[in-house]
Amino acid sequence: MKILLKLAWRNVLRNKRRTLLSGLAVGIGLASMIFVNAVFSGMLQSMIRTATDTFIGQGQIHAKGFRDTLEVEKTIENPGSVIKQLGRENMLACFTPRTVSFSMLSSAGGVKSVMLYGIKPGSEMKISILDESITNGRYLDNDNRGMILIGSKTAETLNVEVGDRLVVTVAQAYSGELSQEMFRVGGIFRMGIREADSGLAFINIKKAQELLGIGNNIHEIALRFKDIEMAGDPALPFWRKYSRNGNEAISWKTMVPQLDSVIEMSHISTGITLLLVFGIIGLTIMNSLFMSLYERMFEFGVLRAIGTRPVSMAIIILLEASILAVISILAGSLLGYAVTKYFSVNGINYKGIEFAGLTITKFIYPVFSPEQFTLYPLLIIIFSLTAAIYPAVFAARLTPARAMRRSI
Amino acid sequence: MTEEIIKVKDVSKVYGMDGVKVQALGSINLGIKNGEFTAIAGPSGSGKTTLLNLMSGLDIPTSGSVMLSGKLISDMKGSDLSDFRRDHIGFIFQSYNLIPVLSVRENIEYVMLLQGIGKDERRSRVGSILSEVGLAGMEKRKPGQLSGGQQQRVAVARAMVTNPDIILADEPTANLDSATGAGLLDMMRELNEKRGMTFVFSTHDAMIMERSKRLIILKDGHIEKDEQRG
Repeated sequence: MKILLKLAWRNVLRNKRRTLLSGLAVGIGLASMIFVNAVFSGMLQSMIRTATDTFIGQGQIHAKGFRDTLEVEKTIENPGSVIKQLGRENMLACFTPRTVSFSMLSSAGGVKSVMLYGIKPGSEMKISILDESITNGRYLDNDNRGMILIGSKTAETLNVEVGDRLVVTVAQAYSGELSQEMFRVGGIFRMGIREADSGLAFINIKKAQELLGIGNNIHEIALRFKDIEMAGDPALPFWRKYSRNGNEAISWKTMVPQLDSVIEMSHISTGITLLLVFGIIGLTIMNSLFMSLYERMFEFGVLRAIGTRPVSMAIIILLEASILAVISILAGSLLGYAVTKYFSVNGINYKGIEFAGLTITKFIYPVFSPEQFTLYPLLIIIFSLTAAIYPAVFAARLTPARAMRRSI
Repeated sequence: MTEEIIKVKDVSKVYGMDGVKVQALGSINLGIKNGEFTAIAGPSGSGKTTLLNLMSGLDIPTSGSVMLSGKLISDMKGSDLSDFRRDHIGFIFQSYNLIPVLSVRENIEYVMLLQGIGKDERRSRVGSILSEVGLAGMEKRKPGQLSGGQQQRVAVARAMVTNPDIILADEPTANLDSATGAGLLDMMRELNEKRGMTFVFSTHDAMIMERSKRLIILKDGHIEKDEQRG
């Protein structure tokens, strides 16, 4: 076996230019797969972050059925106890309570229906990017309850600026009577998501509870986990624990189902790309092996003549394919690492691009993952060996006389 | 009476080329005795190499049988035939005899490695055979660093190092100048006389024909003449 390995190794190094070119071709294929996978992962993470960090959070708790009807009366059962329990959860980074209701905003210049959120300014900052998205005016504070934050598109529609007055109309709980209150525009935000900039407005949670007549009750608790992977795990016991006593706890995967479809789609497209790239890699290796085999036909005849068994001839070819694959893996992994590392630090600017209903608001940073340096190289070995089977069988079946005749 | 090491009985070979059948060998009957130094000669296309290939199991006859050292090699296949060639036959070809990526020592050791002979024994045999063929000290050289004559000497060393029953040489001097060819031939003749090793050559080199102990002339795939010489 050692002599066969020696033969294979030296044969691979024999035509350095061909080995270099084949190794580079395969290596570039591997590097591109590492990079593409890292970009996909980065893009998915960016989309998940865009979806969850912008406003909705990585998970939410509501009263059961609230999401379907948004009825003001459907407030979270025992909110005090739920909040106390959440405060003891180690897996949570933070959470914030909210009220949610349909409302009508009226100004001198127009009328607009929006989803009005009552928020707790301090904890809201840790969940959403609302405070960072203020382009005019300032963020809410606990003391000033007469202030409202509206989106840039809403401000355009209502033709209002910071400091202008708005009348908010909501339907009260239980009675259904309309309740009106005047607010001053304290800040205008631009989150970069059309639906948010044209359809959301925020006031202090205490004021919202007064307006809606729900006492100290709340409609929603937005959650952020220490590890986003946990938030996406439907089997996490957390969800069951808080989906009791008339409440339901849901992950971002349930809140933004299209994102899950995007992830599914990206896995399929990555799989297809992998198959194509590795198919080409296999053919490159097969071509290289056949070229080298035809060049050495007489030599193969001599090896067979002096007693090399057919199976040993096949092993030589398989070893050559493995060596070529290993060289390619080293080159490809290094190249893939270098390119991915560069962009994982500097990012790729996809800001503003909308995909599956979500707008990418941040740079995409390619993400390394273990399979890029374990599964992909393993696939290269498997594809290379599969591609080498045909030339290996060909070499094993050569009769010495035929091999020597063919070379002349 | 000396035993026949090769028995060729009614052997014929037909090649199919582009749908046309070409008879390379007619019905050949031939015996080679132990210790012979035989040349098979004839013009190009007469069937010399084909006969040598059939006698050594490198090719399969269309009909007839070939026995070597008491084994019917014309019926052997695959690994059995490979192992038989490895253990019983030494080969010398016209050119590109050696594996270019292996050193002189590795080329000679190769068959012994296949036979599973231990390292010390291999090294000892390589040392003595290289001295015998006049290439002592050249173990580490690659074939590309040797002259044509030296390469053929290494091929002889490789063929002989396992003490095979017979050495088959296909035009071993064809690519050598006459002085180098004569030197190689003298060396093989000496080994034949000293060790009693059987040699069969295919050739159209007059020098080999002159120095052979038996000369078989082939013409159009048939034996035209078979004569014992001095």
